[in-house]
Amino acid sequence: MKISDYIELSFSNLWKRKLRTFLTAFGVMVGIGALVAMVGFGKGMQKNMTESFESLDLFNSLTVFPSGTMTRRFGADPDDQIRPQENPQVQPAVLDEEAIKRFEKLEGVQSVFPEIRFPALVKYKDTQEMRLVQVIPAEIASSKLIKLEAGKPFGQDDEDSVIIGRSLLGPLKIKDPASVLGQKIEIASIAFDFTAFNPMNIPSFLQGKQLPFKRKTYEFAVVGVMGPMSLGNTSPLQSDVFIPPGSAQRIEKLPFTNIWDLFQARGGTLGYSAVNVRLSSPRAADAVKKEIQDMGFSTFALIDQFNQIKTSFVYMDMILAAVAMIAIFVASLGIINTMVMSIMERYSEIGIMKAVGGSDRDIQKIFFFESSSIGFLGGVFGLALGWTVSRIINRVLNYFLAKQGLPFLEYFSFPLWLCVGAIAFSIIVSLVSGIYPAHRAATVDPVIALRHD
Amino acid sequence: MGWNMANASPVIQTNKLSKIYSTGRVNVEALKDIDLDIDCGTFVAVTGASGSGKSTLLNLLGGLDRPTSGAIEVNGKRISELNRGEMALFRRFSVGMIFQSFNLIPSRSALENIELPMIFANAAKRDRKRRAEAMLERVGLLPRRRHRPAELSGGEQQRVAIARALINEPQILLADEPTGNLDSRTSRGILELLADLNRRQGLTVVLVSHEVALAREFSRDIILLRDGRLESREKVR
Repeated sequence: MKISDYIELSFSNLWKRKLRTFLTAFGVMVGIGALVAMVGFGKGMQKNMTESFESLDLFNSLTVFPSGTMTRRFGADPDDQIRPQENPQVQPAVLDEEAIKRFEKLEGVQSVFPEIRFPALVKYKDTQEMRLVQVIPAEIASSKLIKLEAGKPFGQDDEDSVIIGRSLLGPLKIKDPASVLGQKIEIASIAFDFTAFNPMNIPSFLQGKQLPFKRKTYEFAVVGVMGPMSLGNTSPLQSDVFIPPGSAQRIEKLPFTNIWDLFQARGGTLGYSAVNVRLSSPRAADAVKKEIQDMGFSTFALIDQFNQIKTSFVYMDMILAAVAMIAIFVASLGIINTMVMSIMERYSEIGIMKAVGGSDRDIQKIFFFESSSIGFLGGVFGLALGWTVSRIINRVLNYFLAKQGLPFLEYFSFPLWLCVGAIAFSIIVSLVSGIYPAHRAATVDPVIALRHD
Repeated sequence: MGWNMANASPVIQTNKLSKIYSTGRVNVEALKDIDLDIDCGTFVAVTGASGSGKSTLLNLLGGLDRPTSGAIEVNGKRISELNRGEMALFRRFSVGMIFQSFNLIPSRSALENIELPMIFANAAKRDRKRRAEAMLERVGLLPRRRHRPAELSGGEQQRVAIARALINEPQILLADEPTGNLDSRTSRGILELLADLNRRQGLTVVLVSHEVALAREFSRDIILLRDGRLESREKVR
C-alpha cells in the first residue's frame, strides 16, 4: 500500500466517526496544550533571564577578589574554586592599584575598575538614608551597565557628581526623577580610623562598641537617575548611589564592605575588596580567569553562575513537563480505548480486508495511521490551544504586574523546536498507544471475522 | 465446450486434505482426506448438507484458513506451506471470493469497495478508479457506483462483490453460497453472470451451494460432500 492510501484511508475512517475522533483528539489536545504552555513558560522565563543578562553586558564582566574571600561572600560551591591553601606556592595576593595595572595588561581585558563600596549617610533636604555608596569610573557610568531614566552619566572621573538609583527617590521623598537633577545631596562617610584600630579590640567592636570610625560630610550634585533594577539582579553594580573615583579619593572612607574585609586589612597591606574586570568578549573569560587565578586571586564570573541557573531551569522544565505528562498519559489511554472499540466494530471489515488480500502488516499499518492521525490532530490543535491559553495568561499576568509598576514582560516563549516537538511527541505517543490495538487488528482471523454476522 | 476439456490441466489439487477444529475438549473433523483436482477453466459445484464441510473446503482453497494436514496446490504452488505474508499475496492476486452475506464494507460506496483489493495491490489511484468503473460496467452497475451497500438490492450487492473479487484478475473465483440470500430470479441472474465469466474468460469457478438443482443447471462437475468426506463426483456435461 502507498503512504497516501494509508493517510486517505485513516482520515476517511476517522471522519466517519467524527464525534469519537473529536473527543479522543480533544484529550490529546488538552495534554499537548498543557505541555506546550508549561514548557513555553519555562522557556520564556529562561529567555527573559538570558536577555536581561545579555542586555546588561553581564557576561562580559568578571569580579576579582583577594584570595579566600569569595566562597564566604557568594556562598558558591567551594569545590569550584581554586583555594589558596591548595596552591601554597602562591603568595596571598593584595588587590591594589598594582594588581589592577597587571589585569589591564591581560589580553581580552577591556577595562578594570575597583569595586569600592562604603556605607554612608545620604542626605537630601531633611531626610537621610543609610546606603552603600559605590565608586564607578565615568567610562562604566556611560556603559550599558547603567540605564539612566533621567539626566546623564558623569563626564569625568573627578566631578563632584552623583548618580542615584530610582529606589532611593521614595525614601528621600522625591516624586519626579527629573526634579532632582542638579540638586545637591550630602554624603556623610563613616571612615575607618586606623589610629584607633587595635587588633585586641576586635571582639569589642564586633559587638558594636568602641568602633574606630569618624564622620565627614561631602556635597555632590545629582546628574542622573538610574532606572529600576530588574528582579534577581546580579549586576556588579549593587548600589543605588554612584560616585566617580576622582572625587571618591577625597573622601575618607572604608575600602571594604563587610566584616571579612576587616581581617583582610589586618595584614598591614590594604587592598580593594573587589575589582571588576570588563572583557572585550565573553570568550576571553576562561583565559583571563585562569591568569588572574594564577596570580593568586579568586574570581567570580557571572557566566559560571548562569550555567548553574541554566541547570536549575532544566529541572524546572522537567517538573512542568511532568505535570503535562499526566494529561498526556490519560489521553493515550483514551486513544487505546477508541482504537480497541473501533476494532470491535470493524471486526468483519478487517476480515473482509484480509479476504481481498490485505496482509497482517497492511492491517497493522492502517490502524497505526489511524491512531497517529488522532495524535497529529491532537498535536496541532493542542499547540494552538497551548498558545492561545498562554496568550491569555500573559495578558492577565501583565495586567496585575503592571499595577505593581513592573514593566510588560513576555512570560512565554515558543521556540520552533517546541512547536515541532510537541506535534512529533503527540504522534509518537499515539503510535505507542496504537501498538496494542494494531496488533490485535492484525491478528484477526478472517474465517471467524467473516462468520461474524 | 470440448476445446476446454481437451486442454484441461488441474489448477487446484488437494492431497489428503484434513481440517480439525478443536473447541475446548471436543475435536470436530470438518474435512477428512479430501483428494480433489479441479481443472483450469471449469465450473465446479460443491454441494452437501449443512455442516458437511463445504465452506471449510472453500476457505482452505481461498487461503483464508490452513489445513490440519494434507496439501493444497494451486497453479503448482503449495499454498498450504506459505507463510502469512505470502498467503495474503495469494488471496490478493490468485483467487477471488464471494460470500452468502456479500461482505461489502457498509461505510464505503460500490466503487470504493471494488477499489479496495487494488489498494492492497499498490495500484495508482487514477488507474484504480478507471478499472473499478470498467468492472462495474461489466456487472451492469455503473450508474450505482456512488451507492453504499445498504442502498443496493441483494442482487446488486452480490454483483459488486463479484466485481471486487475479480478486480485483481485472478484465475479462480470461489463462491460460498452466493445465492443463499437471494430470491430465485436474482439467484439465476447471478449464476448466469458467473457462467458467462467462466465461458468468455475461462475463469475457473468453484461454487458452493446446497441448492443442487440450480448447481446442476450451471456447473459441469458436481462434488458431493458428506460429513467432511468426498462422497461422490459427477460430471454433468
